[in-house]
Order: sequence, then C-alpha cells, then structure tokens
Amino acid sequence: MVRAFVLLAPGGAAPCRVLYARTFGTPPGAGPGGPRQRLRRKEQLLVVARQVASQCQLLQASLGRPSSPQLPQLPDEPMSLQDAPGGVFQMPPGDPFPERVTVVWLSVLALAFALVCDPQENLSLAEITLRRLAPRLLLSLRLLGPGADVLLRPDAADGLLDRLLPHGQMLFLNERFLQAMDRELGLKVSR
Amino acid sequence: MFTAAAESFLRQAREIQEEELRRFTARVSALLQGPEAGPEAVDGLQRLHLSVAATKYPRNGVCCDSCRLDGKFVEQLQTVLCSPKSPEQIQVLCAAILREMSPCNDLVLSCDEIQDTKLLSLVSSVLLAQGSRGEVAAVGQRVVQGLERRLPEGQSARFLLPVLANVTSLSPGSLTEEQTNVVSKKLADWLRYASIQQGMAQPSGGFFSSPRTKQPAPITEVDGAVATDFFTVLSVAQHYTQDQWLNVQAFSMLRNWLLCYGGKELDTPNPGASAGGDSSVTPLVPAPAAPRERLRDKAFEYCQRLVEQSTRRPLKKEDGDLQKACLIEAVTIMDIICKQDSSYVCRAVPFLKVLHSRICGDATYARALLPIAQFFLNHSKLAAVDSDAIYKHLFSDIPAQLFHNPSLAFEFVQFCKDNSQLFTDSSSIFRQSFPNLFKFLAWNSPSLISEFVDLLPFLLDPGTAIEIFHLLLDLPCLTAALDIQLRAAALPASEKAGADPAGKPATCLEAFHHPLYRSMFQYLLRSRSAPEDAPDSLVPLQQLLGSLAGSPRVVQCAETVPVLLELFFRVVAEFADGSLINQLVVLLLQRSDQLYEISAFKEDVYRVLGSNLAMLCGLRPALVVELSTEILEFSGAVSNIQSKEAIFTHMAWAVGEFLSVSHDKRCTVEQITRFFETLEAVLFEITQLRPQASTPSCAPRAISVLMATLTKLAARSQDLIPRVSMFLSKMRTFVQSPAVTSVYCEEDLEEILIRATELMNLLKMPSVAQFVFSPPVASTQFQKEVNDSLPLALRMVTQLLEPAAGSMPV
Repeated sequence: MVRAFVLLAPGGAAPCRVLYARTFGTPPGAGPGGPRQRLRRKEQLLVVARQVASQCQLLQASLGRPSSPQLPQLPDEPMSLQDAPGGVFQMPPGDPFPERVTVVWLSVLALAFALVCDPQENLSLAEITLRRLAPRLLLSLRLLGPGADVLLRPDAADGLLDRLLPHGQMLFLNERFLQAMDRELGLKVSR
Repeated sequence: MFTAAAESFLRQAREIQEEELRRFTARVSALLQGPEAGPEAVDGLQRLHLSVAATKYPRNGVCCDSCRLDGKFVEQLQTVLCSPKSPEQIQVLCAAILREMSPCNDLVLSCDEIQDTKLLSLVSSVLLAQGSRGEVAAVGQRVVQGLERRLPEGQSARFLLPVLANVTSLSPGSLTEEQTNVVSKKLADWLRYASIQQGMAQPSGGFFSSPRTKQPAPITEVDGAVATDFFTVLSVAQHYTQDQWLNVQAFSMLRNWLLCYGGKELDTPNPGASAGGDSSVTPLVPAPAAPRERLRDKAFEYCQRLVEQSTRRPLKKEDGDLQKACLIEAVTIMDIICKQDSSYVCRAVPFLKVLHSRICGDATYARALLPIAQFFLNHSKLAAVDSDAIYKHLFSDIPAQLFHNPSLAFEFVQFCKDNSQLFTDSSSIFRQSFPNLFKFLAWNSPSLISEFVDLLPFLLDPGTAIEIFHLLLDLPCLTAALDIQLRAAALPASEKAGADPAGKPATCLEAFHHPLYRSMFQYLLRSRSAPEDAPDSLVPLQQLLGSLAGSPRVVQCAETVPVLLELFFRVVAEFADGSLINQLVVLLLQRSDQLYEISAFKEDVYRVLGSNLAMLCGLRPALVVELSTEILEFSGAVSNIQSKEAIFTHMAWAVGEFLSVSHDKRCTVEQITRFFETLEAVLFEITQLRPQASTPSCAPRAISVLMATLTKLAARSQDLIPRVSMFLSKMRTFVQSPAVTSVYCEEDLEEILIRATELMNLLKMPSVAQFVFSPPVASTQFQKEVNDSLPLALRMVTQLLEPAAGSMPV
C-alpha cells in the first residue's frame, strides 16, 4: 500500500515546499494522539519532501542538467514524461516513520511527485502510477501556470487520487482502463 | 513551482487572525445551510482548507483542539458530508478539511447509515485518518457488510475494495475469520469469473438516438488477439463492466490480502485428507474447498495466465510497462502461495523455469528476474531443483549490463540485503560477485549509499578484505570507467575499431580498447572477485581518466568512500588476524600515493586512513617492529608530511606509542635509534629557521606529534636524551623567527612552544619520563586515549616540576 503522496517544489536555492500532501489512513496506536499526531504527520511528510528534493538535485547534477529548469511558456504543451528523471530510495525505521518505507519519486520541471510505500511494494507499479498521476495533476491543477490552484483546489487533487490511487491502493490499469477512467473524470490527456 | 501568488496565499492563510477566521467560517456556514451550496461555498471551503493545512500548530483557545475551526462548524461539516443532498465537490472538500485536521476529538461521523458506496469510501477516508483501532474496525465491519449483501441499484462494490485494502494494511486484526472468508470467496469469484465480453458504452442519449443493438464484442489481449481465456488486468476492451473493474481491484489488492489472510486454514474441514495433511489419497468425493484454499487456487491460475500474457507484444507501448509490473506481481504472488501451501511448488517450478529462459536474454525484463530468483531461493530445496544457473546469470551478467538503471540497482541491492545470509558462504556465486555489486553504488551513489552501509559487513571476511579495500579506494575511478564503457558501447561499430595500437591513445574512449590500458579497464570492470589478476598499479588508468575526475557522478561517488572506508575498518578490526592487519597497514601506506586525483576526496580518505592506521597499530602494536622498513620509508619522506599530513601524523604517533620493548620484545636499541634519526631529520627539515621555498610547510599538529614521538623514543633509549633536549630548546628561536611567524598563526606557535617546554621538562627527570611514556599495556580508557591525554599528563608533570608558571627553556 501507499502510505502517502507528496507533491513538492524541490526549490534548489530556495527551501523545498510541500504543495500538496495526502496520507492514506493513520496506523492506530502509533504514538501520541491529538495535535501532536497531526504535527508529527506534517513533519514526517516534510522530511520526505526534503529528502526527495535532495535526491532530485543530486540526480539532476549527475545528469548534467541545471537544477532549476526554465518553465515552458505554454502550459498546454503535451507532457512527455519518458525522460523525466526519477528515483527510489529507502528511509530507515524511525527516520521519519516508525517502520521502514520506500520512496519512489519523479521530477517534472520544477516540481516533484513522490509516493511513500510499504517496504515490499511493487516498485514498477509505483513508477507507473506516478507517471500517470503527474501529467493529470499538472493538467487539473494548472501546475505550470502562474496561479495557486494547487493550494486552493485540494478537491481536484483528491478526485484524481481517489481514482488512480484510492485509499493508497495502486491499480494495475492497462491503457484502455486508464482511458475509461479519464472519461469518467472528464479529463482530456494527450496521448 | 512555487509562484509568488502561491507564496502570498500561503502567508495569508498562516497569518489570518482568529476573529477574521471566525467571521469567514460563519459566512461559509451560512452558505452551507442555504438551499443551494454554490460556487461561493466551494470557494469558501477551499480557502478554509488552506487555512487549516497551512498551520502546523493549533491556535490557542479554539474549541477543536487540533485545528483552528469552531467545534460547531466541524459538526456541520460532518453533517454536510453525509447528507445525500450535498453536491459531490462540497462533500469532497468537507472530507478534505476533516482529514486535514485529524485526529479530531469532536468527530461524530459514522459510516453505519451510509448506503452510497462512493460516499462510504469518502467518509471512511476521514475515519481511517483518526488513528483509532475502534474506528478502523468499524469501517472494516461496514465494508464487509456492504460486500456481503446485495448492493442497492446503481451502487458498485468497486469503491469498497480499496477501503478494505486500507483497513487490512492499517489493522489486520479488525476482521474476523468469518469475514475474511466471505471476502476471500468473493475475491476468488471476481478474479476468475469476470465477464469475457466487453462492456457497452453508455447510450449517447438524446431523443432521436436509438439504442444500438450491437452484440458486445469479446475482450482482446494487449497484442490485439481475441482472448480465449478468462479476464485479467491485461485484458483489453473499449468499455468495461462493473465486474471487470472488480477484477482489477481484486488483483491489485491480492498480494497484501494473501499475506494477511492467506495462510493455511485454522480448522481443516476436509474429510478426504489424512491427519498429517498428506494428500496422496484422493477422496472419491472431493470436499468443497475452504475459502482460502479456493482463493489460492484461483489466484495461482490468474498469475499463470498473467505470465503468459506478459510476454505478448503490446499494441500500445505503455502497456509494455504494465506487463512487466504484472509479471513481477504474479511471480511474487506465486511465491507467497507456495510458501502458504507447498503443494503448489511442483506446479510452479517448471513453469517459472520456462519463464526464466524466455526472458533472461531481454534486458527490459531484467527487474522480473529478481522475484524469480527469490522464488527459487525460497523453494528450490523443496523441489530438489538446481537453480544455480539462474543465480549465476543474475549476479554475473545483470549488474554489468544494467548498473545504470537506478530502479534495478535499488531493487537488486534490496534483494541482496533481504538474502544477506547468502553472502556468508565465501565460495558462493553471490559472494564472489561483489565487484559487480559495487558498480551499482559507483553509478547511483546518493540513493544507494545507505543500502551499502547495511550490505558491506556481509561482504567482508578475511578472504575478501584486501580486494574490497582496493575496490573502495578505486570506487570513483570505477565510476569514470563505467562512464567510458557506456560511451564506448554507444559508438557505432565503424568507430570502435579506432586507435592505432602502436601509438598512444588520444582520448579516454580510444584507450578503452588500447593494449596499454585494456587490461586495467578489464580488471576494474570485472564481474567476479579476482585478487590474483590485480595489476601492479592502476595509476596509469587514474591519470588517463583524470579529465573525468570533476564530473558530478564521480564526485558524488567519491563522497561515499570515506563513510564506507570507516565502516570497512570497523568491521575488519573485529576479525582481522595479525597477518591481515600487517597487510592492510602496508597497503594503506602504499595506496596513499595511488589515489584518483579528486582533491576533497584525497583529503577525506587520508583522514580516515590516518585514524584507522592508529587503530590498527593499537590492535597489533608489534607491527611497528615487524614493518619497520615500510614505516621508516614512509616516515622519512618529508613530502609525506605535507601531502598526507593525517596519515603521517598518526604514523608518527603510533611509532612513539608502540615502538618499545614492552610492546614487542624484538624491539632493539638500534631500531629505536634508527626511527629516532629518521624522524629527527624530518623534524629538522620542517623547522628550519629560515625556511626556503622548497621547505614544506605543514600542520602545527605534525610538529607537535613529532616532538612528542622523539621525546618518547628518547625516554626509552636515554642516550638520545641530550639530542632531543637540545632540539627542543631551539624551538623557542624557531617560533620567534620572523619567517616562521608569517607562516603559522600565533596560537599554533604558542602551543608548539608550550609543548616543547613540557617535553623538555619531562626529560629532566628521565625515570618519570619513562613512566609517563611507557605505561603498562592500556587497560583503562584514560590510558587508551593517550593521544588526547598526553597533553594533560605533560601539563600535570610540568606543574609538579615548575611551580612558577611561564618558565621558558634556556
């Protein structure tokens, strides 16, 4: 299962920012209740985001790309995510989650998308899921535009996650199933 | 990207005052109570969500203790969420706000009364976020109930399965055996008996359109062929039916479900089987299969079908990726099923062997080789099957070909960690392949360094220590060599013939096949451990690859080496015998000249080597005597004090500490004198009053340590005392000389002078000096840390000898 999804701006020189984060259930009995639990959740996701940002910058450096790429002028350009850099790393128990987790991430322009997964999860499927979430989120939240939709339209992000990653369950969807899902959501994704 | 607009919104949301928030909340509340909650209400809820999400800490004095919102409003949100009249977008936003503020004490939400499955899923997402076992159990009960009964018209179980999967993962104990049996039965049906015909498109509607009376078409495979077997996730249709969606959901959650609830039945209502579970006697009338057994059976069949479907050539390229993911999942599930019921092993083994031979030559399927290998590791003993060829291919060929694939690299290293017991057998293919494993690290350093820190101890033993020592020091060079290898492979065939073998190669690429360098490249890029093939030195290759030393990937790799070296020494210290320690010390001194030219890299490596050199000498003090030739050679070279200060200093310290009869009976006066003279010459060279351009400047610490070492040696061979004393007395002039004061800072010079004074004073009482410098074999922590405690000891003695402070040498 996926425990959390994080959409972040890695930043580069600026500090990394979590733009949208969604956890899928809280394991019961896992520590303090009340506001401290909420605080802990937010801190854990921030730690994940920072680690993703760091890995992203290191990978960009080793690939010889600038760390803060210029944004394309036209946000409607079809996104090709085949070359989008990404990676996977593990976070040990206790840092920041009680159990070990594996983080799969994908970087698109100045943003990064990450899935926090249980240790034995199918990482190939996680990568596929991210490559499907990313363009749809870019489209629905107009992430390449100047606005702040990502902050003000959590319902759009939730709607996408509820279909592609319901309750943190990754789905084995072939292309036709994906098309059917896009039809249900009213999305027009370029193919 | 984080735009100025977004930044400004975030700041506003954080800084919003309580009063303003209260007013805003009241307005939204009123809008929600109105007959039609329109766009204004949506906008208000979105802004409220941001104001909750933007803050980490609760505000003081607000009703709900985990957020900033009024308790009554929170209650209203729950009511609106559950009301069937609320528009979907409003419900989604209410759920988002409630989740964002979780855990919340004021939650009165319950899923019991909700009939709509989509809404049930939404409400569950809030309940499951509370972190309460009771809530999770309640959701679990409700969902199973929903799956058990016939759902109302228009409702789909499709939205319930993910909730169930989440419940299972959060708290597996929340479902009873009976409930899991109910679900297992349904899962088996959905997996095996989904419709094999395509769904119908929704009628386009309109007054004038007539419903088409086309026959539904059959489903197809990903390569376009008409499907001749049951429906799976790799089945293609224009439109899908509800039960086909359930098929996808069921498979997606299958692995975790089997792990939680797939084990052997607790009670065995199977009259046909004998007590020991031996099924060699087939009953005349087979008993109805228990739900778990039936699910295992259908799941196994499903996985077999998927494996067959996974190697078809897809019409849509993207389906290729899914095929591989399905293959990996199918093999993993078969492995789990075989663990839970070993009667499946004999069916799985031949099947997977065929699969392996089909995909082992195709690099795009490489990631699937790992679960296959894991299967055979788990079960081949039971099946008495020889799977060595599979492991050999996996460890010899795959890392060499695919080290540059970061996902494969990660999964491969995970595989090694999960099966670390394989590496304990030194003759095994796994252990012998460690050079191949390091290629993953060399190329993908940032993401794999922490995995290798876990893995390295399993690779180290007396047989591999030396080779791994070299390998670690050569790791950045390996990165550069891999880069060349990739580029050479990408060259068109016409260019590969390339250079004139008689001349010198013009570029690194040309050198790759050139006779001068080929064997060095081959050794560095070897797949198996081969200490006997090691060339005398890789320095020519390091120099050739010098242009790549600044490349980001090489630099990132170089940064991991000090960490691994430190770990290396820590592990080796636990098992190394005298001979190995001696070998390492000799190599350490040798290799310090043969490192890839990356400046920060060399500094860090020297630092680690230096401190561990001291550690090794502490483990085996006799080596100072046994390796006196090598140590003298190293210590006598003045250039070493400048270029490798860390190593030199620790070496000098070790000589001072351990070159004595109390540590090794073979230590003679001649040896002490020889070491003394060598070090004295070095110290003389670096403390000239008028340093020439050629005189190396060096760290003050080195001067201090040299002085201390000479003093220690003199304390043991008292003929040397006058020489040292005279030398030390000249230090005052040294530190005051104008040429020297321009090179070193005041504090350092003062420190040197103080140390020289203390040492001189100590030598005035030779027997005390001997005591201080030749303590009994260290048994206390204080004595062990002489390096740090010597100054303290010296100061104590000085104060005893010279009650008047600030006495200077005459």
